[in-house]
Amino acid sequence: METSESYQVRLEVFEGPLDLLLFLIRKKKIDIHNIPIAVITREYLDYLGHEEQINLDREAEFVLMAALLIHIKSQLLLPREEPLAEGEDPRRFLVDQLVEFQKIKAACSILKEREEEQLSLWTREVLPPLPEPGEADLVEVSLFDLAETFFVLMKRKEAENFRVVRGKNYSVEEKMKEIVAVLEKESVLDFLEYFNRQETLEEAVVSFFSLLELIKARLVMAVQERLFQTIKVWLRRESKARQ
Amino acid sequence: MIPGLKNIIESLIFVSLEPISLEKIKETLSDHPPAEVEQALQDLLQTTASAERGIAIIQSGGGYVFTTRPEFDPWVRRFLKIDRKSKLTSASLETLSIVAYHQPITLSEISALRNVDSSYTIKTLLEKKLVKITGRKKSPGNPLIYRTTERFLAYFGLNSLEELPTEEEIAKILGEDKTVEQAPKP
Repeated sequence: METSESYQVRLEVFEGPLDLLLFLIRKKKIDIHNIPIAVITREYLDYLGHEEQINLDREAEFVLMAALLIHIKSQLLLPREEPLAEGEDPRRFLVDQLVEFQKIKAACSILKEREEEQLSLWTREVLPPLPEPGEADLVEVSLFDLAETFFVLMKRKEAENFRVVRGKNYSVEEKMKEIVAVLEKESVLDFLEYFNRQETLEEAVVSFFSLLELIKARLVMAVQERLFQTIKVWLRRESKARQ
Repeated sequence: MIPGLKNIIESLIFVSLEPISLEKIKETLSDHPPAEVEQALQDLLQTTASAERGIAIIQSGGGYVFTTRPEFDPWVRRFLKIDRKSKLTSASLETLSIVAYHQPITLSEISALRNVDSSYTIKTLLEKKLVKITGRKKSPGNPLIYRTTERFLAYFGLNSLEELPTEEEIAKILGEDKTVEQAPKP
C-alpha cells in the first residue's frame, strides 16, 4: 500500500495543518501551484484518520483545514455556466497561503542555523549567567512582585511593634541617594536584607518608595532569580557609565 | 596610521559591556581622523580573526563585542555549569519569523499565516523579550501590533532587519528542498 509509510508519522510532529500539507505536497512531488485537490484531500484525510482520537484542543485546526480542502474540492466539482476566469481558481487562497508558509519555513531553517551558531558564542555579561534547567531567564520583577514582597515585610515589621517615636524625617530623595551609594559601593543590593535593616516602619516604607522611584527613573534594575525569592537590585549599566 | 590605534580600539571593545558601535569608537577617538579609526578597526578584526586565540571579536546587535570561539563552547558551559542553552521551539521560531518579515503585525494576522492559534506562542516571545507591542492597529477591535526587538537581532547575531535571510537565500533553500523528501522523524 502506497501510504503505508505514513503510518509511522504522527500528527504531533507537525506544527499545524500547513506543515502537514507541505509535507504531503513534497512527498507526492506535487507542483504547489497546481495542486490536485482530490489527491491531496485524500492523503490529508488519511493522516487525520490515523489519529485514534481527535484531540480538539490541538487538532481543531487540522480538522478545519480538512473542511477547507473538501470545500475547495466540491467547488471544483460543481458544474458552472461559465468557465472560471484566471484569478478565480478556488485553490488560489490555499496556494497563496502555502507559498508564503513555505518561505517562512525556509527562513526558519536559516535562522535556526544562526541560532545554533550564536548559542555557542559566549560574551561577558553584567549578571553572571545562572545555571538553570528551564527556559526562564532572570526575571526583571514587576511592580506586583515588589509590592508583594513589600507587604510581607510590612507584616513582619508591624509584628515588631515599634514604640519608639523619633523626630527624624526621612525623605525619598535622601533614601534614593543612600541606595545608590550602597549600590556604587557593593554593586548589588539584596532588597529584603536592606529592608530589614531599616530601623523604623516609616523608614522602611520610605526606602521602598525610593526603590520604586529609582526603578521608574531607570537608574536601577530589580531582578529576581526565581519567583518569591529575594529581589536583587543593580545599578543600570548605562547610568553607571554616565558617571 | 598611528601605531597602537588598533590596540586602543581593542581595549574599548574589551571594557564595553554592550556591543560597541563604530560611531561610539569614532566618538571616543575623535582626535583621530575617522578614516584611520575605521582602518585600524578593520586591521584589528583581521588580526583577531587570524590569531589562534580563545576569543574573537564579532559584529552583532549593531556593534563589536568579544565572544568566545564556538569550538570552546563545551568548556565554557562546563565552567559556568550550564548543560545547554535552551533553543526556541519550532512554533516560537515560526511565529518569530512571521513577525520579523511581516511587522508590524497583529496576532490574528500571525495566526492566519500559520493556520494555528498563536496566542500562547506570542506570549512566550513577549516574555523572552524577542517581540514587543508597539501600539494598536486602527481597525475593528483595535488589535495590538507586534514587532521584533533589539534582543531578537542580537539573539540571531544580526545587526539590523536587513540582515534577515533574503528572498534569494530562501529560494535557494526551497530549490534544494524539492529533492529532499524525508519524513520528519516520529
